[in-house]
Amino acid sequence: MDDLISVAALTKSYGATRALDGLDLSVRAGEVHGFLGPNGAGKSTTIRILLGLIRATSGTVRLLGGDPWRQATELHRRLAYVPGDVTLWPTLTGGEVIDLLGRARGGLDQRRRAELMDRFELDPRKRSRTYSKGNRQKVALVAALSSRAELLILDEPTSGLDPLMEAAFTTSVAEEKRAGRTVLLSSHLLSEVEALCDRVTIVRSGRAVESGTLSDLRHLTRTSITADLAGRPGSLGDLPGVHNVLVENGRLTCQADPDALDGLLARLSAIGVRGLTCRPPSLEELFLRHYQEAAR
Amino acid sequence: MTLLLKLAMRGERVRSAAWILTVVMLGAGLVSYIQGYFTTPEALRAYARVISTNPIFLGLGGPVTEPSVGAMAAWRSGGLLFLLTAWMALTIVIRHTRAEEESGQQELMLSGAIHRAAPLTAALVIAAVTALLAGSLTSAVLIAVGMEAAGSLAYGAAITAAGWVFAAVGAVVAQLVRTARSATTLGLLVLGGSYVLRYAGDASGVSLLTWVSPLGWSHLVRPYAADRWWVLIVSLVATGLLLVLAYGLSARRDLDSGLLPVRPGPATGPCLKGPFSLAWRLQRGLLAKWAAGVTAAAALFAGLSGVAPRLAQQPGRVLEAFLQRYGGPSGDPVDAYLWIIVLLLAYTVALYPVLATLRLHQEEHSGHAEALLSTAVGRLRWAAAHLVLGALGTAALLALGGFVTGLVHTLSMDEPAVGRMLLAALEHVPAAWLVGACAAFAVAVLPRVSVALSWAVWGVVVVVGDLLGPLIGLWGWSRIEPFHYTPNTVSGEPFSGTPPAVILALTALLTTAALIRLRNRDLG
Repeated sequence: MDDLISVAALTKSYGATRALDGLDLSVRAGEVHGFLGPNGAGKSTTIRILLGLIRATSGTVRLLGGDPWRQATELHRRLAYVPGDVTLWPTLTGGEVIDLLGRARGGLDQRRRAELMDRFELDPRKRSRTYSKGNRQKVALVAALSSRAELLILDEPTSGLDPLMEAAFTTSVAEEKRAGRTVLLSSHLLSEVEALCDRVTIVRSGRAVESGTLSDLRHLTRTSITADLAGRPGSLGDLPGVHNVLVENGRLTCQADPDALDGLLARLSAIGVRGLTCRPPSLEELFLRHYQEAAR
Repeated sequence: MTLLLKLAMRGERVRSAAWILTVVMLGAGLVSYIQGYFTTPEALRAYARVISTNPIFLGLGGPVTEPSVGAMAAWRSGGLLFLLTAWMALTIVIRHTRAEEESGQQELMLSGAIHRAAPLTAALVIAAVTALLAGSLTSAVLIAVGMEAAGSLAYGAAITAAGWVFAAVGAVVAQLVRTARSATTLGLLVLGGSYVLRYAGDASGVSLLTWVSPLGWSHLVRPYAADRWWVLIVSLVATGLLLVLAYGLSARRDLDSGLLPVRPGPATGPCLKGPFSLAWRLQRGLLAKWAAGVTAAAALFAGLSGVAPRLAQQPGRVLEAFLQRYGGPSGDPVDAYLWIIVLLLAYTVALYPVLATLRLHQEEHSGHAEALLSTAVGRLRWAAAHLVLGALGTAALLALGGFVTGLVHTLSMDEPAVGRMLLAALEHVPAAWLVGACAAFAVAVLPRVSVALSWAVWGVVVVVGDLLGPLIGLWGWSRIEPFHYTPNTVSGEPFSGTPPAVILALTALLTTAALIRLRNRDLG
């Protein structure tokens, strides 16, 4: 069994409100797993259960082969965590916090620490009180990334970072992956997840609505096609699985389900094609579709 | 500007009202205290003589040249009221200048059609008006209870003047440093320095020291005795000069910067090894402040112990009740006085474990605990670190207080007392721990109301306790608080092991329950 995290039918209730409602999640060893969903979907609650900070109401949770509630302390030696809203001890400097957290996790790679400090342009001598949100985030990131933990749990780690620092973050996570570490990356930034993740779980209202590799998920959605046609298109709208057909000045735009592509392309080549662009579905569209369905 | 004033006023309404009420009530309360305890002119004269011959008494409020109720009341309350009003004005100004600048609130305001000096002016207006109200209401109440009008007005003006000078000091320090915390520290240093200078000047009779102290100017008015209004010109001129300086500095610097450079901290944390060293780092500032306060208070009160036998020579119902209650088997007034110091120390220090324990709540609430507990640090070690350090700190503070009391008494009265006082103070450690354990229980079991509940427990213990209870007519209620069961070993009562054993058992029980709950509940 290769799953570092396996969560099944997880629920968490706060009185009458249900923060998690039967959530499933599995993270395999060595992968970067995107944990996607809007604010309030239950991402942070799941992570807090994984960390043993709160207790699940029902369901099963395994983390690194153990029980995150009862074996919290020993499991924590093997993971590093960056909270979504980083607050630091105001009188400690950034450097002190990094050393404290690193030591409390059971060790810090000093070379990696220096390298990351440089990459994130972090001044370790400033008191945490004077750091901006982005800088506090960097402190937590450097502390987590320079630990030797096998599992990284990152809760919206780039929410306070500027684009340059986001790039630095992407580089760093790619390095971690190459070094064989496993990452659970919670985010609502699709571009970030698309760039980094092998597999994705999408959550909505405390439930996983979609899970799989990015290409798996793309199969579930439609490819956008634009074609400049040589002849008359005739009626393309009668083809099953082809949607939103629009023809203007000999240019066709439409969306096609994966299994309708064959038929569509055959029809198009019969008409004659001068130019063709196919755009794979973006995560964005996938994501929006799920949420629009929910709204409907 | 009016918008800023309204905004700042909304934040200050309750706080300012509380300050003003405190000042006015203390001012009026001490008049009735003097009237109640020194009923005859002879008694007043005797009190004035005691004051004029004891440097510590002289230091408290300056010389007493006229043994009238007004002069005595002003002597007794002045030092405190000037200090309170100054502190109030100083903090109001910093709160609405540097603190808002630091939090970024001011950036938003200044991007509107508001002049960059406007926040400073708004803060100064509020501080000045609050000080004016504190002074004039005190005057009004004193006149209403029958004090002489001219003296009462002079006294009120001296109170207001202290507030104005320190509002201006606040305006200057807020320009100098980048954080509200450092500004407050700097302001406190100026205020403390002024107090020490004035105290030294009055205690030693070197009036130059009083004259260079901003707080001294208010004292030099000598209300009801000399009514020297002209001294207040010094306060006004100083206020004006400080304001010119503050506005000048504010025009010269950038938003969110100070004139004094920010000292960088260490780049690495070799001393931070785990939850205990972290808890020590977080609590040591609190402990240091308390140690300073305990030392100063113990030295001051012990230094006054020489007055006890002299007071005992004057007959009166107060003294009899006093001896009966605190004198114990020996009935010696000095022993009774020393025991009162120990009780004062014990009831005050009982707040320390509460504050140290509430750090746990703050750590949990602020999210700091989440960062630490996601590492290999377990909940029990995290909680134990704060609780153990709080407990050790409590014992250390009590030992320090007992030691200092004993030492000063030994030096000033030539009567060895260190061992006796140390023991008497340490006797109260279990009871203070029990108050702390209640706080721990509240933090673990009722986190939402833990702050209010912990303070309430301490408040009840103090109010019904052996020191304050009788003063407010709550006889006998002290049986429900732990300090009641500590034998008065200072006056020769035998030490008994049962009360501390029971109290320690209760402490252990509450703490264990708290730890079990902390291990089992959701955090954050």
